[in-house]
Amino acid sequence: MVQDLRTDVLVIGAGPAGSMTAKWAAKEGAKVVMIEKRQEVGSPVRCGEGMSKEWLTDVGIKPGKWINVEVEGARIFSPSEKIFEINEKHAGNEVGYVVERDGFDKALAIDAANAGVDVMLKTAATSVLKEKGRIVGVTAKAFGEPFEIRASVTIGADGFESQVGRWAGLPTNIQMRDMDTCLQYRMTGVDCDTRYCDFYLGKVAPGGYVWIFPKDEGLANVGIGVQVSQIKTMAEARKYLDAWIDKHPAYAKGKKIDMVGGGVSISPPLKQTVTDGFMIVGDAARMIDPLTGGGIANGCIAGKICGTVAAKAVHAGDPSKEFLQQYEKGWRARLEEKLYRNWLAKEKLTTLSDETFDKIVDALQGVHLEKLNVHNILKAVRDKYPEVTKEFEAFL
Amino acid sequence: MPDKKRLHIESSGQLCIYCGACVGICPLNCIYLDETRITFDEKICTRCEICVKACPVGAIEIG
Repeated sequence: MVQDLRTDVLVIGAGPAGSMTAKWAAKEGAKVVMIEKRQEVGSPVRCGEGMSKEWLTDVGIKPGKWINVEVEGARIFSPSEKIFEINEKHAGNEVGYVVERDGFDKALAIDAANAGVDVMLKTAATSVLKEKGRIVGVTAKAFGEPFEIRASVTIGADGFESQVGRWAGLPTNIQMRDMDTCLQYRMTGVDCDTRYCDFYLGKVAPGGYVWIFPKDEGLANVGIGVQVSQIKTMAEARKYLDAWIDKHPAYAKGKKIDMVGGGVSISPPLKQTVTDGFMIVGDAARMIDPLTGGGIANGCIAGKICGTVAAKAVHAGDPSKEFLQQYEKGWRARLEEKLYRNWLAKEKLTTLSDETFDKIVDALQGVHLEKLNVHNILKAVRDKYPEVTKEFEAFL
Repeated sequence: MPDKKRLHIESSGQLCIYCGACVGICPLNCIYLDETRITFDEKICTRCEICVKACPVGAIEIG
């Protein structure tokens, strides 16, 4: 028989956003329980495993054994495979590591546990407990046995397929045009370049891209994201990825040793991420960058803010929606503008023809950009193909 | 609801990779993923077919 529990802060989900939230709440003096429905933190991996690195120090993550490769830059391939190289000098935080994602998640969970968080495995939330309109915890099952966890502050960090946010009444639903469906193979015996993360744009992956993230010499994650609204028949993500691999001998000769899939939101930020006694963070809160599909950095950055505010609410004895606005305001100040700008850019990019993609990448050949942003890219494109930038007046 | 169509999720592992893409996109929140088991609530499901498109491997059929 599992005993009912009472805690200050309850975090649902032990991914990066959950562990980061739990750790910071504990560091700020709260009693924290983090529950994870699986038997193993970080597994199975559902991730391309590429991430930026500049933000790590800010949130207190030290580089560890989970790093496979530190890349020098990224290469964007247009449909005719002209290359635009983004290097560390002008991209700053946009380049970084290819990681062993399960190791990364475990390292963060270890940090959380060492900060005092109680981690419960094989424990899934089954509904939220509400009293007088306030979320006061969850009903859960641990090893199949039902019990209750009561908390002053409950936090949903349950990832892309979040249930907890919807139970709490937050509108986390996404539109078909705001989701990419993804599939990836780990391939060995391929000719990848461990200096770069590669991205292939255009009709090879409608509304998304094909990625090559090198794990080691001859070993890479080869994946695809396709916008759901652009899919016509079943299993198209797999068909597009297989077709791309077939056309690229450097990868077609490789062997698949692993396959992962999943959904990625490419939506504008949620309008509301707190309610009485409750906050939502990470992929569950649709914090994924709509342009890159990256969610780890934003989830960790917001997680630190979320955990800190949760502890403050506990100390103040006030888990009201009004008090938790500190989190809402904090993460928005840090992330919202870029999320919204990148969502607009994504909306535009998904309408471009292969010809236009080629022109954009062609115009950037040999051009020196001081700082990499949409504005500077468009200025460079305007110099060579003024007709292309007409559609982008709003960004200039 | 006029309902001749049936949603079928192949979740025995022949096709399904338990990635959760269908769970996240379902506008009615009626698909559930439990480790290696996917279920859906037939009473809530409206056969909107969004999950069919969201499935990267084609494990969901309506017919």
